[in-house]
Formats: sequence, C-alpha cells, structure tokens
Amino acid sequence: MARVNLEGVTKRYGDVTAVDDMNLDIEHGEFITLVGPSGCGKSTTMETIAGLTKPTGGTVTIGDLDVTTLPPKDRGIAMVFQNIALFPHMDVYDNISFGLRLRNYSKEEIDRRVEDAADKVQLVGMLDRMPDEMSGGQRQRVAIARAIVREPDVFLMDEPLANLDAKLRVHMRTVLQRLHKEMDTTIIYVTHDQAEAMTMSDRIAVIDAGELQQIAPPLTCYNEPANLFVAGFIGSPSMNTLAGEVTDTGWVSQNGNIQIDFDPAELGLSPGDRPTMGVRPEDVYTSEKADTVTHPTQSLPATTDVLEPMGDEIFVYLLTDDIGAEKMALSEAEQENQLLMSVSPDSTIEEDQRVDVVLDRSKIHFFDAKSGEAIAHGIEDLAGVESASTAEAEGDD
Amino acid sequence: MFDSFRTVTRQLVGGEDHRTSADSDDEIRTDGGVAESRRRTGSSGGVLKAVRDRFGEDFLESTPFWLPTFLLMSLFVYGSIGWNFLISLTDFEGFAQEPDYSNLDFEMYVQAVTSEAVQTAVVNTFALLVAFTVVCLAFGMVLAILVDRGIRFENTFRTIYLLPMSLSFVVTAQFWLWMYNPTNGIVNMFFGVFGLGPYDFIGNPNLVLAAVIFALVWQFSGYTMVVYLASLRAIPTEHYEAAQVDGASTVKMYWRVIVPQLKNATISASVVLMVFALKAFDFLYSLVGNFRPPNGSDILATKMVREAFQNQNWAYGSAIAVLLFALALAIIGPYLFHQYKHDNL
Repeated sequence: MARVNLEGVTKRYGDVTAVDDMNLDIEHGEFITLVGPSGCGKSTTMETIAGLTKPTGGTVTIGDLDVTTLPPKDRGIAMVFQNIALFPHMDVYDNISFGLRLRNYSKEEIDRRVEDAADKVQLVGMLDRMPDEMSGGQRQRVAIARAIVREPDVFLMDEPLANLDAKLRVHMRTVLQRLHKEMDTTIIYVTHDQAEAMTMSDRIAVIDAGELQQIAPPLTCYNEPANLFVAGFIGSPSMNTLAGEVTDTGWVSQNGNIQIDFDPAELGLSPGDRPTMGVRPEDVYTSEKADTVTHPTQSLPATTDVLEPMGDEIFVYLLTDDIGAEKMALSEAEQENQLLMSVSPDSTIEEDQRVDVVLDRSKIHFFDAKSGEAIAHGIEDLAGVESASTAEAEGDD
Repeated sequence: MFDSFRTVTRQLVGGEDHRTSADSDDEIRTDGGVAESRRRTGSSGGVLKAVRDRFGEDFLESTPFWLPTFLLMSLFVYGSIGWNFLISLTDFEGFAQEPDYSNLDFEMYVQAVTSEAVQTAVVNTFALLVAFTVVCLAFGMVLAILVDRGIRFENTFRTIYLLPMSLSFVVTAQFWLWMYNPTNGIVNMFFGVFGLGPYDFIGNPNLVLAAVIFALVWQFSGYTMVVYLASLRAIPTEHYEAAQVDGASTVKMYWRVIVPQLKNATISASVVLMVFALKAFDFLYSLVGNFRPPNGSDILATKMVREAFQNQNWAYGSAIAVLLFALALAIIGPYLFHQYKHDNL
C-alpha cells in the first residue's frame, strides 16, 4: 500500500523558502494534483517526494517507510517529466526498459513488461524508433510507458502535458485517467493549469508561496474555496471579488451600489468590518432571469462595458459605479468595482447598456480581506434584517 | 558555404530568391528561351548554359565572392602542396643546383619508408597522437563533469583550466623544461617526497615521449573541458533526474545516459586535438631550441623539418611531408565525410 505522507516538509534555498511546512496525506490509489502558479513550490514539493531534493526539514513517508533520506531509486516511485526527458541516444525499447535493465531483470521479464506497457499507451510497433523520429505526443507516451513499466507504488508527474498542443493535451488527460483506473496506483500530478487539476484529480492541493492553501476534491475547491487565493485560482474566469463594508443590515460595496442584505451577526461580523465579497461570473444574472434563481439578491444597477463572446457563453464586464455614459479608461479603483457576468449566447445584451443584475445568494462568498480566509460560502439561509438595532446590540466581534 | 554565397549573390543580383517553387516551371522555360536566342549568336551561350547546369544558375554572378579566395587558396595552399609533391619525386638537395624535374621517381618514398628513423618517427607520431588525444579527452571530460556538478568557484576553475591553452608552445615548453629538470625541477622534487627519482625526463628516451604528452595534456585538457562543458550544459537536468529515478547510480548515470550524449563534442574535440598533436613540432622544437628533439621523441614533423632545413635534403623532406599530409588527411577525411553526409558542411 502506498500512502504518501508529508509532514512539515520545508525547503529553503538560502533566504528563499520554496516550501513552507507542507503537510499532505495522500491515500493509496488517489489521483492528487498539486496546483498553483509558477514558482509556488509545487515542483519542489514533488522533488522532495521523488528524492531529487532533500528537504530542509520535515519527513516524507511512502507506504510505511520513512524515505526522507533515501535516494530516488529506493523509493518505489516513477516520474514523468515536463520536457519528456527521453534519452536521445536510445531507441524506444531501450528508453522504456532502462530502469528494468539497471535492476537486472531477466530478458523475458523485460520484454514482457515493455510490451505490456507499450500496449497500455498504444506504442506497439514503435519500439525500435528513436525519440527524434517521433511526435511530441508519442514521445510523451514513451515517457509514460517508461514510468509504468517499473510498476511503481507512486507515480509522480511534473506537468507532463505542458509541452503538448491543446488538442493533444485534452486527449492525454483521458489516457492518464484511464491508466489510473487500470493500474490502481497513487498518482501525484503537478500542474499550473487549473483545468487539468479540476478534470483529473480525486483531490486538489492548491499551493501558493510554498504553503498549502487547500486540499479538497475539485468541486469543493470550486464551491467552497478556503481563501481568496483558491477562489481566484480555481475556475476560469476567476471569481469576482469586491471590497466592501458590513452595515447593520448586510454588506455594501465600496461605491455603495451593490447591497446584499443579511444579518451580519450570524456570520460573526459586525458593522464596520470590511470583508471581501466573492461571486463567480456564472452566479451573476440579469434581473429578467431573477425568477430562475432560487435565492436572488435584490436588483443591483450596473452598466455593461465590454462583451467577450466565447461561443457557448458571453462574458459581460459590468461597471457598478455611477459613471454611466461618461465611461473612461478604467483606473485601478474602478477595476475593483468591476463585475464579470456570464450570460447565455442568445442574450441580446449590448455594450454600454444599463442593466440590472442579481446575484445568487447561495453562491455568495465572504472572505476576510486581511487574511483572505473564507468566512462564509452561501448566505441563502441568512434572513435579511429589518431593524438595525438588533444587529448593533450583538455585534461585538 | 557555397549555398550562402549563392543566397547573397541572388539577393544582390536581383532579389530573385523571393520566387516560390510554384513558378519555377516558368523560369526554366524563360531560361531555355534565353539560351536559344544566344545559340544563334555563337557557341558561348552553350558553354554558359553548361556551366549553369553544372554549378547552378548564379554561378557567374557569385564569382566576385568566391573567386579571389579560391585563387589565393589554390595558389598558396594547394599549389604549394602540389609543388611539394613534385619536389618529393626529384632528387633535389642543397642549394647548388635547381631541382631536376626531368627524372621523376618514388625513390625518396622508398628511402623514407625503409628508413628506421622515419619508422620510429611514425610510431612516435601515432603514439603521441593517440595517447595525447585519448588522455586529453578523458581528463577534460572528468574535469567538465566535476565543474558541471556545481562546485564552488566554478568560473575561477574554468579560467584556470583554460589558461594554459592561451600560452604559446614556446612558453610552455620552457616551463616544462625547467619543471622536468633532474636536479632542481619541481617534478623531481615532488617524486623525491616519495623517495623516488630523480628521473631525467627529457634525457631518457623511454620517458621523454610520455613527459611531452603529459605537458601537452596539461595545456589542452582545458580546451576539451570547455567543449564538454558546453555539451553538458545542453543536456536538460531532467535527464539526470530521470536516470536517478530509474535507479541509476551516479557512475551508471554518467556512463549510460550522459556520456553517450557527448558523442558530438567528442568527435569535434578529437579532431582539433589530433591536429594539435600533429603540430607538436613547435613544442618539441622549443624544448631544445634546435631541429634535433630529444632522443625518443622524434616525430614526423620534426624529422621532416630537420631533413629539409638542416640537412637540405629537400626532396627527402618533401617526401616525409607528403607522408605526414596523408596521415593528417586520413584523420580529417572521415570526419569531413561524416560532416558532409550529415549536411553540416
């Protein structure tokens, strides 16, 4: 059984902390994705699991074995690299069998395993080719075959699809998922592409600045992001986030135009607190559609700015300030009051048009503006407050 | 090379290179028309067409670019080689009379091949060539791998290793002459620490060639290191990591994954080193300051120069020179052919 456990793993390069106190507990057979922006420490985390770097502190356990100080070859892992890293002087067979030959397997065993692996990734009949005679997708399949032929306990994949073109990448995703199903091994997958993370994983570990932000199933990360970073990183386009202030009767945006009514005390907020409100573009509706939303907010006035027709939907940039027709180049302050809305492609919405929008109360998030921590996901159960006095009496947070 | 000249002339002559392959058919027809009209005026058109068919259509336009160099090289390099070969067929010696070209034979070659001195020189040349190149490559590779593993002061080491190459043979020969000195040389002092020696490295015919090879390796392994280092830097770190994850020890990783990828660097470095080995004349000459290198270290180059310029056996010297030339060609030839076959020439 190959559980992988990271406990307090820290990696420092001089003054720079690449990975800071990382704790991960990965179950056997799990497909887990480490995702985050470039330089967030996800690759370093993977390297410490692989044994290619020694952590400055903390322990790595694979199965029941503390592997923190073991070299890569004794960890029962196999790895697929971003730039594929096939050995250019060896043909496909030699590349795939390299690890087995080093371990002195018998010729028959090697042949059997190589053919088996080649079969799994549809490389049959290409075993005598040289890497430079193959396409990018074929090479990546060789790299995957090289990993599965060793029948490791844990697969490590460091952005294996990043160098492939978009169409091939989508295809290889399904290949990887099928392999995972067939082989019943743990897969740890690193990517900066949140779409890959969402589609393939059992759980996503979102990492930023060397720290684990959230580890949860993809939909949990999407629907209940633990903090502002996860909210912004998972989902494309990003979640709208607006600065604002808690009033006696709910929350109001900085420019006063977006008001959401609820009892702040139920969220432990008190008037004067300044939490950030978040809502995803698909949870913003024009007021005509308000009756399709179970828990709509009140109508909010806005002006459409730019439209981005995507084919299957249209992204509408909304300005919530009172600038109406005299629209100017957006300054930063104005950007903050911008709201992105996604509407269906048959909508007749136009640019520079006054429009009233509603938000889905069950999909509204509040985050602490300073720490970024989530305060609430969905406020559909919170009643509006009629009188201001009750809230004032309770709010002492 | 010729191709690039062609492109340049084409651009200068009329920017014709913008045509696409689609209209090349038209062009052949046009060309044919021109040739036909010229045929009426005289036979020169036919010659021109033949030249164009053979060497490409902008052959004449490109002459200003390649002809001067072509003529100079023909005269001073290939012409001299030819003349040298011609002299080697005569019995020319001394300055008393001019070479007699009326009676050409291979007598000098027979004399050279049967001469024990020349045979020794050939053996020494080969020994120097092979030992120097192999040791230099091996040593340079080890240095490059060590430097590549991210040691401290990497740049300093690189400079230190490369520095000897910038020195003249005359200087390094003098250095080593002093260092090999049997009474107060530092090499013998070093051996003295272990109770060995003193050895007369230069005077002992059994040691002198090894001593010379060592000195040359010292001078040129820095160069090999730089060539290998460049090649190592081109190998992605993932290859090292992949090999490690696959279970290779450090030695096996280098031996089976990294070193095979240095093939091209090895080929180009060995060609340069072999050429330097053949040119070791300077070093040997500077070691003693005259045409007679220490016993046991006579190579073809020194033998040739000694026969020609000391003994004034011009024809004999020329014959040895041709042998040396053939030797060099035998080394460079396969390399050039390999490059030509892979379209790198």
